[in-house]
Amino acid sequence: MRPLPLWRHEARRAGWTALLTPPLAVAAPILIAFVDAGANASDHEIAQNLFGALEMGVPLAAGIGAASLVGRDPAAELLLTTPAGYRTILLRRLAVTVGWTALVALLLAVPMIATGWWAKWPANHGALPGQLIWLAPTLGLAALGFLAGAAFRGPAAAGGLVAIFWIFQQMFADRVQEQGWSRQLYLFATTRGAVPADWTANRITLIAVSIVLGALAWLLLGRTERLIQGVTE
Amino acid sequence: MRIEISGLTKVYKGKGRALDDLDLVVPTGMFGLLGANGAGKTTLMRILAGLLRPTAGTVRVGEHDGTARAGRLAVQQILGYLPQDLGVYPDLTAREFLDYIALLKGIDDRAARRRRVGELLEVVALTGDADRRLRGYSGGMRRRVGIAQALLADPRLLIVDEPTAGLDPEERIRFRTLLSQLAGQRTVLLSTHIVDDVAQTCRELAVLASGRLVFRGTVGDLTRQADGRVWTVVTAGPAPTTGTVVSALPHDDGMRYRVVGDSPPAFDASPAAPNLEDGYLALAQKA
Amino acid sequence: MIATARYEMAMMLRKRSMWITNAVIVLLLVLLNVSGWGDALRDPDARNTVASTVFLMNLMLPVGYGSLLADRLIRDSRLGVAPILDATPASPTGRLAGKYLGTCAAAAVPLAVILFGFAAVYSVTAGRPVALAWAALAYAVVVLPAVLFVGAFALTVPLVMPAPLFRVLFVGYWFWGNGISPAVMPTTTQSVLSPAGVYSNQELVGLRDFTLAGPVPGATLNFLRPEATPATAWLSVGVLLAVAALALGVAQTLRTRTTR
Repeated sequence: MRPLPLWRHEARRAGWTALLTPPLAVAAPILIAFVDAGANASDHEIAQNLFGALEMGVPLAAGIGAASLVGRDPAAELLLTTPAGYRTILLRRLAVTVGWTALVALLLAVPMIATGWWAKWPANHGALPGQLIWLAPTLGLAALGFLAGAAFRGPAAAGGLVAIFWIFQQMFADRVQEQGWSRQLYLFATTRGAVPADWTANRITLIAVSIVLGALAWLLLGRTERLIQGVTE
Repeated sequence: MRIEISGLTKVYKGKGRALDDLDLVVPTGMFGLLGANGAGKTTLMRILAGLLRPTAGTVRVGEHDGTARAGRLAVQQILGYLPQDLGVYPDLTAREFLDYIALLKGIDDRAARRRRVGELLEVVALTGDADRRLRGYSGGMRRRVGIAQALLADPRLLIVDEPTAGLDPEERIRFRTLLSQLAGQRTVLLSTHIVDDVAQTCRELAVLASGRLVFRGTVGDLTRQADGRVWTVVTAGPAPTTGTVVSALPHDDGMRYRVVGDSPPAFDASPAAPNLEDGYLALAQKA
Repeated sequence: MIATARYEMAMMLRKRSMWITNAVIVLLLVLLNVSGWGDALRDPDARNTVASTVFLMNLMLPVGYGSLLADRLIRDSRLGVAPILDATPASPTGRLAGKYLGTCAAAAVPLAVILFGFAAVYSVTAGRPVALAWAALAYAVVVLPAVLFVGAFALTVPLVMPAPLFRVLFVGYWFWGNGISPAVMPTTTQSVLSPAGVYSNQELVGLRDFTLAGPVPGATLNFLRPEATPATAWLSVGVLLAVAALALGVAQTLRTRTTR
């Protein structure tokens, strides 16, 4: 564990973009939930929006945030020569981004549990295992973004890949759930009606895939030569 | 600390050879690396800093093998590096930036870090501006922040790539003096294409051209490359066409040209005493 | 302006990452519905087959371009070339227009490759070369307006917010404005304002697999969903282009404000 001031520096590096993005990403569905509540929507519909914020908004913010970590670092060449190792630095920044997103998710989930809204969605999977609702897709999409950033060496294309992957799973929800392999990789298995028996396997698969993608990113980032030869922009 | 380089070759995919079978020994103290842009200086610096892996050849930095992973990590522990394009975080103050780099270099103790950062800000004469954001710094001030960060962990090897590019004359002189003072027990490798920087700071130097070593010796040796090859000529007519014109100054009878070349550029040309720049040019002509 | 556009386009087309992203998505689309594509390639209805393909493409790929193009305008100042460009005789408006058209053209090239690639394969497998003509029409009235719409926002919005934040919000917008059913909440889905281009696709190209354009009973914002006719289809194209032009106007204003 490195000293606290280092984490403080990394949090500052992430900047107010990273600070604002997760709250804004969950704010939209929550706002809709409130509007719905005003318009006499059913508890079921309101709960769906709240869970949507957790399962859709949170992972998207983490994915795009993780995709923005590689490239665009003015001091990269210098950091590459520090004994700390640049990929360790990037991993720390990833932890800051994902950690903050997770905190935002918890800030939404805990009041939902306390006020009983959590229980109003049938597929809530309980208070504790139910946290996988946001955690699994968040890790999956963050790892995808991090790997894409490492591969493309720039946030623009990496963010694009995360964006397309997310929207793909939204627009073609039915198609994705038709086949076994793509069903296991479905990000929104809680809120968009996946096969209930598959839920746990789906969550575990997503986490496992995130570990594999993260490891690939780690290997790619070890090739410093790619990193100083510039971003592919 | 001695650096021994042998048979060093670096080939970039699709861009050809940046370094070609280079053999070089760099002793402790200040050492200059001269060469035109694109001669391979930055590639060599980056290999020594552990950023690039050589295609072939060996690098020994002190007792460490600079081509093996363990050796590279060991070198980075004792390395201070100032890259050619030092990017900084514009939203940080100089003090914060140095604090961050110090943490990354493993200076974990808060008091020690503060003390070290304070000392170095003093060394590079930035104490007064230390709490201003780097966004508003001039090029020269940023360079000084760069040298301060390179010195944070009291490195035994200091690699500075084109440190004086873009500095005003006063800043350049101050910077050079600082580097010379730092040399002492350290090895300071100064890469530049500005001959004067080397002339004023280094006793020994090497010259690279197209990835090859074309000269290794003292400043005096390089100057002597131009012995008997420097001429001055005053003429109202056209500029001399043989040799390389080093300078052209207005004169009462036309222009006074200083020329480096094998033969006198005109029958009335008079020989002149060479300086380091002449030596460098003469070397380039021979190569 | 043309030089700027050509340069911008060349720069983008050189990005390997853009092609990889496109390839990944096409692969996903194919993998998820192998048998469906097999049927489609034998479907004698060339018009509808092309229209459905364009519909799938346009529902998704512009999102990628929105993210990809998001930093093109702010990149100049980050790379420090902005002052150099400002000092050139090229007018700022011309340069903005050039940059816009160049990036959009670069985004349009892979889309053309995908669409015409499909149409070419289809015209052989189904024996209907007319598909190429329908693809050309669909490209002009469905794909290009979407690209121009997305490109304008991707250049403009990051002037006022960081690019990553824009990407997140843009993806959210796209899902809300093109994917969410109008029956669920107020949205621009299935309206003349939807860059997915359902009006032009249905009325001009001939999408028949789904009926998407036109009023949705019980939905809000139905004034944005007039009866689907060729005229309202052209109106939709016009509205999308007008909104894009408006966004670019804002970009121009923002930029002149920051440089002076």
